[in-house]
Amino acid sequence: MAASVHSAGLDTARSALESACEEVTDAGERDAVDGVAASTVARPASTEQVADVMRAAAAHHLVVVPRGRGTKLTWGRPPTRVDLLVDLSRMNAVVDHAAGDLIVEAQAGTSLADIQETVALAGQRLGVDETVIGASVGGTLATATSGPGRVTLGTVRDLLIGVTVVRADGVVAKAGGRVVKNVAGYDLGKLIIGSYGTLAIVTQAVFRLHPQPGARRVVTQTFDEADHAQHLVQVVLHAQVVPAAVEVDYQSEGTGTVAVLLEGTEAGVEGRHAATVTLWGDGAQSSAEPPVWWGRYPWDDERSPGGEPGPRRTAIKATFALSGLAEVLTSGRAASGQAQVPLDLRGSAGAGVLYGSMPADADVNAISSVVDQLRSVCTSLGGSVVVLDAPSQVKAAIDTWGPVPAIDLMRRVKDQFDPDHRLAPGRFVGGI
Amino acid sequence: MSAFDAHRPPDAALIGDCVHCGFCLTTCPTYSLWGEEMDSPRGRIYLMKEGLEGEPMTDSMVGHYDACLGCMACVTACPSGVQYDKLIEATRAQVERRHTRSADERLLRAAIFALFPYPRRLRLLRGPLRLYQRSGLERLLRRTGILTRTPRLAALESLAPRLARNVQIPERIRASGRKRATVGMLLGCVQREFFPDVNVATARILQAEGCEVVVPKGQGCCGALSVHNGREPEAQRFARAVIDSFDRADVEYVVVNAAGCGSVMKEYAELLAGEPAYAERAKTFAGRVRDISEILVELGPVAPRHPLPMVAAYHDACHLAHAQGVRSQPRQLLAGIPGLEVREIADPMICCGSAGIYNVLYPEPARELGDRKAAAVLATGAELLITANPGCLMQVASSIQRQGGSIAMAHTTEVLDASIRGVALVRSPKRRRLVDHVRAISKRGRQLERRDRDSE
Amino acid sequence: MTSTHGTESTAGPVEGPLAPEDTPSTGTAGSNPEAMAAVTSRAREVLPARAVITDRIQLRTYECDGLAHYRVTPALVVLPETSTQLAAVVASCAEHQVPFVARGSGTGLSGGALPRADGVLIVTSRMRTIREIRREDQRAIVEPGVINLDVSKAATPVGYYYAPDPSSQQICSIGGNLAENSGGAHCLKYGFTTNHVLGAEFVTPAGDVVQLGGLAPDAPGYDLLGAVVGSEGTLGIATVVTLRLVRLPEEVRTMLCGFRSTDDAGAATSAIIGSGVLPAAIEMMDALAIEAAEAAVHCNYPDGAGAVLVIELDGPAVEVAHEFDEVERLCREHGAFEVRVATDAAERALIWKGRKSAFAAVGRISPDYIVQDGVIPRTALPEVLRAIAELSSSSGVRVANVFHAGDGNLHPLVLFDDAVEGAGDAADKVSGAILDLCISHGGSITGEHGVGIDKSAYMPKMFTDDDLDTMQLVRCAFDPYSIANPGKIFPTPRLCGEVPGHKRGAHPLVEAGKAEAF
Repeated sequence: MAASVHSAGLDTARSALESACEEVTDAGERDAVDGVAASTVARPASTEQVADVMRAAAAHHLVVVPRGRGTKLTWGRPPTRVDLLVDLSRMNAVVDHAAGDLIVEAQAGTSLADIQETVALAGQRLGVDETVIGASVGGTLATATSGPGRVTLGTVRDLLIGVTVVRADGVVAKAGGRVVKNVAGYDLGKLIIGSYGTLAIVTQAVFRLHPQPGARRVVTQTFDEADHAQHLVQVVLHAQVVPAAVEVDYQSEGTGTVAVLLEGTEAGVEGRHAATVTLWGDGAQSSAEPPVWWGRYPWDDERSPGGEPGPRRTAIKATFALSGLAEVLTSGRAASGQAQVPLDLRGSAGAGVLYGSMPADADVNAISSVVDQLRSVCTSLGGSVVVLDAPSQVKAAIDTWGPVPAIDLMRRVKDQFDPDHRLAPGRFVGGI
Repeated sequence: MSAFDAHRPPDAALIGDCVHCGFCLTTCPTYSLWGEEMDSPRGRIYLMKEGLEGEPMTDSMVGHYDACLGCMACVTACPSGVQYDKLIEATRAQVERRHTRSADERLLRAAIFALFPYPRRLRLLRGPLRLYQRSGLERLLRRTGILTRTPRLAALESLAPRLARNVQIPERIRASGRKRATVGMLLGCVQREFFPDVNVATARILQAEGCEVVVPKGQGCCGALSVHNGREPEAQRFARAVIDSFDRADVEYVVVNAAGCGSVMKEYAELLAGEPAYAERAKTFAGRVRDISEILVELGPVAPRHPLPMVAAYHDACHLAHAQGVRSQPRQLLAGIPGLEVREIADPMICCGSAGIYNVLYPEPARELGDRKAAAVLATGAELLITANPGCLMQVASSIQRQGGSIAMAHTTEVLDASIRGVALVRSPKRRRLVDHVRAISKRGRQLERRDRDSE
Repeated sequence: MTSTHGTESTAGPVEGPLAPEDTPSTGTAGSNPEAMAAVTSRAREVLPARAVITDRIQLRTYECDGLAHYRVTPALVVLPETSTQLAAVVASCAEHQVPFVARGSGTGLSGGALPRADGVLIVTSRMRTIREIRREDQRAIVEPGVINLDVSKAATPVGYYYAPDPSSQQICSIGGNLAENSGGAHCLKYGFTTNHVLGAEFVTPAGDVVQLGGLAPDAPGYDLLGAVVGSEGTLGIATVVTLRLVRLPEEVRTMLCGFRSTDDAGAATSAIIGSGVLPAAIEMMDALAIEAAEAAVHCNYPDGAGAVLVIELDGPAVEVAHEFDEVERLCREHGAFEVRVATDAAERALIWKGRKSAFAAVGRISPDYIVQDGVIPRTALPEVLRAIAELSSSSGVRVANVFHAGDGNLHPLVLFDDAVEGAGDAADKVSGAILDLCISHGGSITGEHGVGIDKSAYMPKMFTDDDLDTMQLVRCAFDPYSIANPGKIFPTPRLCGEVPGHKRGAHPLVEAGKAEAF
């Protein structure tokens, strides 16, 4: 579109937006999405307003990127364009907490922390780790983040039971409901989860809750050899201690640590904890609290709580069959050594998910080679490597997503939901 | 033209009991082999329903009824209590009357039914069969592989049991010690001619447990094979003769040691319900029928048991476990034998493939089922397989031999008998062959044979 | 003569029962002879002879699944033995625009496997190999015809099992479980099929074979697998499935508690959940259901019980011991007059036998019945049960209740005798009213049986047009020509608009005036 026509279009679009929502402003520097400047920001206060905004955006062919609290806007690839940033931070209320039914309903802009605070009043919790400080419900759903707790509690994929979305054409749709057991219709929630805002905008979500455990204990053990780490993990998974989480931390050099979290009743935890210590033998350490790195992505290590993020590091997510842990750890170190770029790995060894971090100033080719090697190993282990985030020059050179089977089918799904490709185009797999 | 006529068609009410839940499918041997609806109990019931609704009795419909082994595992599994046994029997009779099978199948069936229900004719086979087994002919035939080209003949051949010496059982046997009951005993047909030791053992046990045993002469065949293959008039004829024979004997119970026979005799009331002269007598008779393991448990053991230190596996014959619901009694009896360890066989509810004459008529599926059962039996690591039906015994023996395995086999009564008499159970097929061979060729052997004969 | 004696039916559609033949849901026999001939001939090329069924009396045995109320004879039945064979048949269907329906063991309770009179029934019962049990990865890789319970049997020797356990698990297939997102008694603690399916080789309605998910979680891209599980065969057919295996618990304690009333039992349930204990299962049966189970399997439940709770706790022995004390105390506090604890596997099996045979067993106390599958929030349980009791007494229609008390999934069994004039209609009315109750309490019309053909008319009561429209966007992406199990789930099919690169004439439904093109 010619620039002048484009800007004229944006003007009429702006007035349409303003009649849809009272908070519409020009975008500033801080509203850029992964280096792509936005034109306008709208901050709707309700699902109806989101719908009106999206209808206006549709009428004026605006390219839209939704934002929760902006903690993961640099994840994925940069959007091709951002005409409108739909900011959901005003929609930050816990709508309903039905403690007797163990469910909570919240708007998409609500922070995970607020939800936890609310449900804790009834001795309950939402089984989603706040791996990114300040994360919103919507952003968590969009990127499907998860932490140590996924081993027993599952991820948002397993905890979301109902969702309200607004489509690119402004239509509001609900899927699921307020009951955990529900197979009426398609599970749209699962489709939306991890879609990076490219299918629809989540405005409200219902989650199932769990009771707070009575007690918890942690057992840790260090290791030098990756095989030893695998042994520790396997032994604790196959035993009868039922770990709530099994994490591994393996920095670019030095010994690594395996840490197991046990939760349950006082007496139960005591017994299982003793059993774990016995199982692991010499060197097993026990404590009341998990290690400092627990539930924190390795690329956030240098960030002080509540502080600004430092220069952007390369952040990767590796998945693999459980039995491949040693191989992943070993090849990670080998690739890192070969390319001479430090790679810190950390994550849920008990789920087959590891996160990796490489320094902000590392050479692009070096990072590329580490990613390629790790990706090849993980693919052979039935998994994948995704570059969640990286400095822009790295993103430009690297294959963010890796091979994606069924990409054609995914494109067709995108075409149905967003035929004009106006929702966060370019952020997702296959250029979607 | 509709599949069924008005004379005792499968009962619509019984068919209606089926709620189509499918719980029977995994217990059905043919479904486990072929995985198709038409060869499952649920599917066969549906075919019967179709027949009642006016669909014709086509070759394919008959084929599915014929493929049913009649093992009744589905009856055990069904939560709605569908009486599939009654349905399939009624259906088979209709098929027999209204459907014309292929020429060679008719021939085979005619041959089977001209032979198996007649002990005297079976006896005539003994000589030739013995000769066949003892001369090198059996080995030669198997080596040439001729039999593989004629599966049915091969089936017959492989099923043929190694023959024991025949024994005459007296008509009346006095009880040992205090008499607790007077019981009649069915000798059977195949059991009588090919496994006479089982009848001997049965009689001895009953005697030892305080029963006076009456073995009516000329008692004939119980009609099981006929019932299970839809030959209704023939079955009724046999049933009447058996009832007459045992009524004359005036016994409290009629004891049976073959599972198939016992299950049919318990259903004489239904079989002869339409005959005024026999209906009541059949009901009374049926109420008196007991499997040997049932009566022994009912009476309670009095004869002391001696140890039999062996590891055995017990195989539930379908017509004992499913059709008669007799599962715990044989196990109880075996548990009473000191030193005997009895192991369970995996998938016990699935038929071994014998199913009366099924393994002769349909050797391929029977073979596959036999192989599966054999593998499961061998997997128990037992040295002895105990079962309550001659058919099962032949089928499993042949399957195990085909797999190159070996295991001793015995009827429940033979094991119990050995324990009561305090003798070792010698039942190794290999050992028996060797002994037979030695005896046949050596003078000393002939002397031994004469001596054994005299001591009986 | 069609006998409905003892047959099972469920809630009729809202407008009144429609014979399936009258709706576009099930197609018309003989409406596409050339296309069917082409597909049949292709099937004969790629499948062994025994796998292609055209004989009428044989075709008829596939007329219905576990919901015998609806029957439609398929035009063709195939039993492929490999993914390639299955994909070839689907590709042929796509080429000739012939609808297809997938079927596992045919035990579904919503008519999801009800065939199309103008289509192919693709039966997966011969694809029944358990390919791998991978203990170190806690995964099993199986073919869709594998029986649910057999997965657990295969994994038990290495200390694992497959957690989702529908009551029909001894016969239902993994493929069917995947299509319906089946639950079971233990899904309170362990989740449903969708939480245990991690990957699938999947045949799309175009006949393409794609890989969704895999051994590892979180595959990049859209969670198509998540959309496929529970899609009731309308998005394609899974031909290999990667399942999650769960460690067999150290200890399992099963208890049977007798209460005087469902109110008491319901209160006990709430108390247990509220205390923070998460049992593996909490099942409730009312007096009528107990009577049926007793008649069928002689489970010997407590005499005089107005309701029983079957509660199962599992996990590490130390945890179970503590939880058990808590649960027993709470049950007694809420009026349990008898608490029976299973001391061995046989007793445990017997306690469960009563519960698991309940549906089929009801056939012994009533000639006919409708089984429902509504869900309500657990806290609404006492109120809804009371409402059901009122419905029952005011209409004179008996209702036996069997349900997953832990998660509010009700299975009211509406009993009637079809031979009595008007009894069927009265039962339909009560059944429908129960579903309305569920919806009005913020629940669902189906917790585990699926929508199928049976409840599609209820979808508009639970979802708006926009909701249904959005779901059908997914359908259009996978199945633009609407050949994958058409007529199921959605009462009104949505047409998918122009498909790039493929021009066609007007859709037959549009020509028939039965649908609109958007």
